Amino acid sequence: MRETPNFAGWRATILHREDATTERLTRQLKLFGFHVLVQWTPLAADHLPDLILVDADQGWTGLLPWTDERAPRPLVALLGSEAPGRVAWAMDQGASAIIAKPLASSAVYPALVMALAIHRERQAIVEKIAHLEERVRMRPLVHAAVQKISHARKLDEEQAYRILRNCAMQRRLSMEQVAASIIGGAEPLPEAG
Amino acid sequence: MGFLVFGRSMRDAVKIGILYSTTGPYGTMGRDCRDGAELAIDEIAARHPGRIEPVFVDPHANIDQYLEGARTLLRDQGCRHIVGTITSLARKEVIPLVEKHDGLLWYMCPYEGFEANDNVIYTGGCPNQHLLPLLDYLLPRFGRRPYLVGANYVWGWEMNRLARELIEEAGGSVLGERYLPLEETAVERIVAEIEQRRPSFILNNLVGPSSYALHAAIRALGERDPAFRPENCPVVSCDLQECELIDIGLGVATGQLCAAAYFDTVSSAENAAFKAEVSARFGASRRISSVFASAYAAVKLCAEAIIDAGTDDPAVVSRLLCAAPRSTVLGPLRIDAETRHAALPFHLGRINDEGGFDIIASEPAIVADPYLTGRRTRKPPQLRIVS
Repeated sequence: MRETPNFAGWRATILHREDATTERLTRQLKLFGFHVLVQWTPLAADHLPDLILVDADQGWTGLLPWTDERAPRPLVALLGSEAPGRVAWAMDQGASAIIAKPLASSAVYPALVMALAIHRERQAIVEKIAHLEERVRMRPLVHAAVQKISHARKLDEEQAYRILRNCAMQRRLSMEQVAASIIGGAEPLPEAG
Repeated sequence: MGFLVFGRSMRDAVKIGILYSTTGPYGTMGRDCRDGAELAIDEIAARHPGRIEPVFVDPHANIDQYLEGARTLLRDQGCRHIVGTITSLARKEVIPLVEKHDGLLWYMCPYEGFEANDNVIYTGGCPNQHLLPLLDYLLPRFGRRPYLVGANYVWGWEMNRLARELIEEAGGSVLGERYLPLEETAVERIVAEIEQRRPSFILNNLVGPSSYALHAAIRALGERDPAFRPENCPVVSCDLQECELIDIGLGVATGQLCAAAYFDTVSSAENAAFKAEVSARFGASRRISSVFASAYAAVKLCAEAIIDAGTDDPAVVSRLLCAAPRSTVLGPLRIDAETRHAALPFHLGRINDEGGFDIIASEPAIVADPYLTGRRTRKPPQLRIVS
């Protein structure tokens, strides 16, 4: 079960011309506990707020201080238009939820909860992919280390692999790290068994 | 000339829509709401003749008829204010129409929170006004291992979800969680599971006949096994009404607990006067439920605010309403301009043999926090135990 989201004390910036929409949105965000700032100028890259809502009808490239869809903060698009170009702009900025304009107050909270959850999920996926890529990059080292153990200890590859894995587990290191040490000679060859 | 005066007074009368189902699974509550609303309307008519004209619509617990009824009120009858709906299902159905016509819905039942709509005034209470103080009372006294039951829609789901979160935060665990459709009365499997798992208490978010069936079955269980008597393992509700105790059967639910912002037994000057008025009209044996009192209060608030404002423009009426507390049968009622929720007292009632609730704990008016933003920084409870 996901816990009840609580935005108390969070900072939100609304990038939108001040109008009735920003007024309603501000009221609603304050109810959720946000400190709210409304501006219609590019967002500075330093001191990013905790959550950003952007007018995707009028937004332009450069309004947000990042260049790809990897938004460093949860981003919600405010969208009245149905034009595919505007939807694409919102996605290119990394929006993880849309709130339709004209604004229904009941649409705000669910969109924020979802934007936050998807943002966190995306970040977790990015981290996981980076981790897996690193492991794939190191895979030849594991293979080489297995060969080396297998040769030196006169074992088949499967047994050599098991030795390497046990060694990594005992030292609480990844197999790639242990393999790198063995190949580099920084590590004595682990004993069998 | 007589015609002209009549014509003008009719033109001046502001129509208020009153939308309650008096039949179906929550018909008992609906009939009490309607009685409360009628009483308020008659009082207003006596004091301000010709100013307010009610338009009653009964959707008979049919969700499509709620929509149709609200449309008739807003579009055909020209109502800008609707007092009513009981379930969250019906409220959610009606709100988009109220928004479209820029009207105001006066919702006066306890609900599961997470809403604060500009076109709604909430006077029935959200979880920080009922569920949270209720758990504050129950956990130290009965234990942290409850069993949760609920009606199979958003009220039951969300109340139990929140309860589970609060219980687990308190280091407790939920021993079971089951749902029943609104009109389902087959509670045997649930009760068998309760008997087997032996919870600390039973949080009951069932509505109507399923809730009555649960109370009857737990009564029978308690007779077989004292561990399930109310003093050991109470059935605790947030929306059980005096009028429903008759449906359950007098004496059947004696000792079980319920949280509410109002009980017939509240001792206050406002309530004493109100009870005298209700007795005069409905007979001395009539017990006033919280939905009766809340519907009465909501209709009066609405009508009086319209009369004071000199217009039924919802924005003007809301502004006036939120400007200062208004005296109601629930006590002086302050409505927050931001959340549009009323601050409400908390009472915990224990069902007695006479079809009423003995109040065993109370807390003065609690400001509504519909999105529970203050939950993690909440002050320790200051329950006043009265017996």
